[in-house]
Amino acid sequence: MNPVVTIALLTLREAVRRRLVAACVAITIGLVALSAWGFDRLSHNASITSGEVGVAIPQALILFMFMFSFVVALSASAMASPAISAEAESGVLLSILARPVRRSEVLLGKWLGLAAVILAYSAVVSGLEVGVVDWVGGFVPPNPVFVALYLFAEGAILLTLTLLLSTRLSAIATGVVAIALFGAAWLAGVVGSLGTAFKISSLTTIGDVARYILPTDGLWRGAIYYLEPQSFVVQRLTNSPDSGNPFFAQAPPTWTYLVWVGVWFLAVLAAGIVSFDRREL
Amino acid sequence: MSLNRSAEPISEDAALANGYLADTSRSDPRVSPAVLTTELRKEFRTTTALGGLSMTVGRGEVFGFLGPNGAGKTTAVKLLLGLVRPSGGEAMVLGAPAGDRETRRRIGYLPELFRFQSWLTAFEVLMLHCRLIQLPRVRALSAIDEVLETVGLAERRGDKVGTFSKGMQQRLGLAVALVGDPDLVILDEPTSALDPVGRHDVRGIIRRVRDRGATVFLNTHLLEEAEHVCDRVCVIDRGRSIATGALVDLLGRSSSVRLKVAGLSDDDLAVVAKFGDVARDGEWLTVARIQADEIPALVAAVVSAGGRIGAVIPEQQTLEERFLELLGKS
Repeated sequence: MNPVVTIALLTLREAVRRRLVAACVAITIGLVALSAWGFDRLSHNASITSGEVGVAIPQALILFMFMFSFVVALSASAMASPAISAEAESGVLLSILARPVRRSEVLLGKWLGLAAVILAYSAVVSGLEVGVVDWVGGFVPPNPVFVALYLFAEGAILLTLTLLLSTRLSAIATGVVAIALFGAAWLAGVVGSLGTAFKISSLTTIGDVARYILPTDGLWRGAIYYLEPQSFVVQRLTNSPDSGNPFFAQAPPTWTYLVWVGVWFLAVLAAGIVSFDRREL
Repeated sequence: MSLNRSAEPISEDAALANGYLADTSRSDPRVSPAVLTTELRKEFRTTTALGGLSMTVGRGEVFGFLGPNGAGKTTAVKLLLGLVRPSGGEAMVLGAPAGDRETRRRIGYLPELFRFQSWLTAFEVLMLHCRLIQLPRVRALSAIDEVLETVGLAERRGDKVGTFSKGMQQRLGLAVALVGDPDLVILDEPTSALDPVGRHDVRGIIRRVRDRGATVFLNTHLLEEAEHVCDRVCVIDRGRSIATGALVDLLGRSSSVRLKVAGLSDDDLAVVAKFGDVARDGEWLTVARIQADEIPALVAAVVSAGGRIGAVIPEQQTLEERFLELLGKS
């Protein structure tokens, strides 16, 4: 068996054995049930018109999915931050790296195993939430598969960055830095939206630059776009094109941006491999 | 084999002179040395962990790598495995440059800081390592059974590592190092967490590994352990080799002798003093740092000086005494 696959399977097994998967499943079921109750209250409220419900449900869905995107990001960071550093410090890696295995294979195996967990979580949580909204509120987002893919891509980007940090920093420092950067990127996106709303070009630039430096917020906006009904997008663009709503995306990420995300991913992954390769154990 | 107290580089020629042929055939156990280092150095920023280590470890021997804490033993081991990069010098392991990927398939390693995945069972840890060395599954299953039996963990094969005591984890580490019958087994302080029974067991395991023709590189600061199982040792201090040789040579070169002597005045002690450090306690003379083969000459000198000898008691120096002597702390 290829060492990358061996390490990936080991990482997957760790996620299951350490009850990370079980904890995520439990908390997700609770949150989805809570959202189902909320959507039910929203759809069956006599004081709200059907037109208002048609607007409120997609917005509520975006908010819930934002929460799940945070769970994805937090999980990616929590799983990846000890992946290299803690195992190097504890000595677990010593016996593995003394075997005929390259460090790049260990890092790629860990990435693959953790990415599989994030992909599975993104698919399950998107499917559950979309299913609940359809069942309770009768709304189906235009492209649920793309929602799951963007959610996964956001988590995978943070996972890759966290693994790079983990090759140099301690587990706790890695986790703190990764989450802080994720939060900063999201906030920069909000600042950018406000810049657009109030026509302050410097703030808009901050949002744009941040999306290139750390593409998590840019990808999250891709997920937002595919959660919005097309009529809702048209209405928002017609009525208030520069509203500055951080939970609204007027267009999906461009191909140019997606290519950049691919380049960013490969560059950070390569940096992680080089950094790990040069680390003395 | 004579004692080498210098830190002279050991070249390939020196290795050949020691009887290690340059034949690369793997079927011949007397091929290139298991380990050959030449002026191997490692510096960490301002600290010199290894200051120029030269040593040769032959195939099929149990080689003790001794030194006080902080002498550079673990750094040297990590250099041999390619876990850290050398700042200078050269290291060859099983005929290939240290850290060579394919060669690592033939090396078993128990780290000093051993830790295994607590959420795996003992069997799963060993299967993981079998997969990493690409051992076919059928062979892996029998190899795992064998090593678990060897280290006394057969009944705990299905238990999670997290439930193991420190000593049991060290036994598992030993099993990991032995699985797949490696040609070179590097053990870094393999008995640090074991009780006396466990230490005794490990000595037996080391001997069995040697008996099947493998080389054991034993990194330890437990001198009694080295004394029991090692064929040759290298003593390092502050990152340099200060003595290398067969244990019997290392201990036999210098010893002490006690003589019960009558009829010898203090002025006559000058004839004795040339053999070593003399101390007198009534009728008893102790001559320390005397070469073992010089004791007959000492007896003859005492007799010719008029002394009447009642008893001659040679005292073999222990490895610990020799070790302290080498470190200048005797």
